Amino acid sequence: MIRLLLALVLAATAATATGASAQPLLDWTEEEVRSIGRHGPWPPPPVRDPSNRVSGTPSGILLGEHLFNEPRLSGNGKMSCATCHQAGRDWSDGLARAQGVVELDRRTPSLWNVGYSHWFGWDGAGDSLWAQSIRPLLDAREMNGGTERVGTLLRNDRALACGYEKAFGRKPGNDDELLLVDTAKALAAFQATFVSPRTPFDDFRDALLAGDRGAAARYPMSAQRGLRLFIGNASCNACHFGPRFTNGEFGDIGIPFFVRPGEVDSGRLGGLTRLAESPFSLLGKFNDDATGENARRTRHVRRLHTNFGEFRVPGLRQVGRGGPYMHNGSVATLEDVVKHYSEVNPDRLHSDGVPLVRPLALSPDQSADLVAFLRSLDADVPPRPAAPPLCP
Amino acid sequence: MRRFFVALMMLMGATPALADCPLDLGRGTGWVVFSDHYMIAFRPDPVRVEVGEPFALVLNVCTKGGDPAELIAVEAQMPEHKHSMNYKAAIVASPNGRYRAEGLVFHMPGRWEISFDVRAGEESERLSHDIILK
Repeated sequence: MIRLLLALVLAATAATATGASAQPLLDWTEEEVRSIGRHGPWPPPPVRDPSNRVSGTPSGILLGEHLFNEPRLSGNGKMSCATCHQAGRDWSDGLARAQGVVELDRRTPSLWNVGYSHWFGWDGAGDSLWAQSIRPLLDAREMNGGTERVGTLLRNDRALACGYEKAFGRKPGNDDELLLVDTAKALAAFQATFVSPRTPFDDFRDALLAGDRGAAARYPMSAQRGLRLFIGNASCNACHFGPRFTNGEFGDIGIPFFVRPGEVDSGRLGGLTRLAESPFSLLGKFNDDATGENARRTRHVRRLHTNFGEFRVPGLRQVGRGGPYMHNGSVATLEDVVKHYSEVNPDRLHSDGVPLVRPLALSPDQSADLVAFLRSLDADVPPRPAAPPLCP
Repeated sequence: MRRFFVALMMLMGATPALADCPLDLGRGTGWVVFSDHYMIAFRPDPVRVEVGEPFALVLNVCTKGGDPAELIAVEAQMPEHKHSMNYKAAIVASPNGRYRAEGLVFHMPGRWEISFDVRAGEESERLSHDIILK
């Protein structure tokens, strides 16, 4: 009997040992490891925007946080930036289409890692985060605030006036346009602090690059297979490149142009027109960077006919926590996003060469793997404490 | 990419005919492209080109016959996908005879073909060079 028990224990031990030695790690090639490495490290260094004099300053960030939650900036006194960009909803609102004074044609984009971008908005009409922050304040369909309202509020509200003076080193003056820009700069300083936490992917990436197979093997096999697809046959990383999983540019991925019968959303094409017409672009007088270095993209960007129907390539960190998806919220779930790329109609996409977007024809297992990988880019976020007072 | 950087030095050493054309753009790095009539030496600034990051090219354009040559345009495209850059490079001639093409951005990894339109008198030509961005 004892011999039998001993044999059973030995057999169990052997089975465990066999299980442990079979490393659940794909055989990654050098080229693949190099590709994976390009998606980190994370987090990147904090943002410092030279076009924004209060970028990265504690007083500018604090003022921005108060303004971000300030409904008096809106025309009806009921809507703040935080109405659509909710901290508890990953800085979006969970709606298919944003709801301002009226329902809009596009989805509220998440603000995670927004400070690292160089084009802003789905169409890139903003070339700085502060310029982009002006648009919803003024847009009659969104907050409908108006330049004068912003200036009046900053001058007349004692706490905001004090916070403004701390941030900008002067009392709010009578130049309403300047106060509007400064408000947007404080808002941008705050938003640039929205850096998403490290994820299971980051742990895997760092372990893989360090040659720590044990730690790398903790990353689920389905996510590994999905990652291999992402950087391999599916070529998702052609556009979803780099630590934020976006190259920051624009693409047409086969989402219908029409917003209603007879009306189209021209995307990047219209965004470039608005950029050229904006008094708040980096080529204008409100850019705090005297060198003009940070305006290089704006100076050299060109309007191409292929920009029609292109929209900004979103970053993928925290992507599984968001949704609906695409610029117009037309795709409900992450599984549906993968299905879109698997079945996209090639006739809808115009390309003279090898198309960047093509039907991937994924099997159910491959689709599940890709979703598993995408979900490994998510991380839980601790609750935000309330903002301290501006001038205690 | 480092392999390309040494190409300039190797080519200069192996081709005495190029000695009249100042192809050394400093820093010991760069590329050289040439045709029957033209030679172009160029290097990126910053030296390492990153996906999605603006960069410039510092160039020297020469003719093999010693005639003055002019750089007309610099463009880049991904031949596989047949798309160009989203940005238009601006060319500035420096007093030292060199050119600077400012405002290039390669927004995707892969093969990019840079093309240079050059002219000497009535003769113009397009030269090109491929780089692989990873």
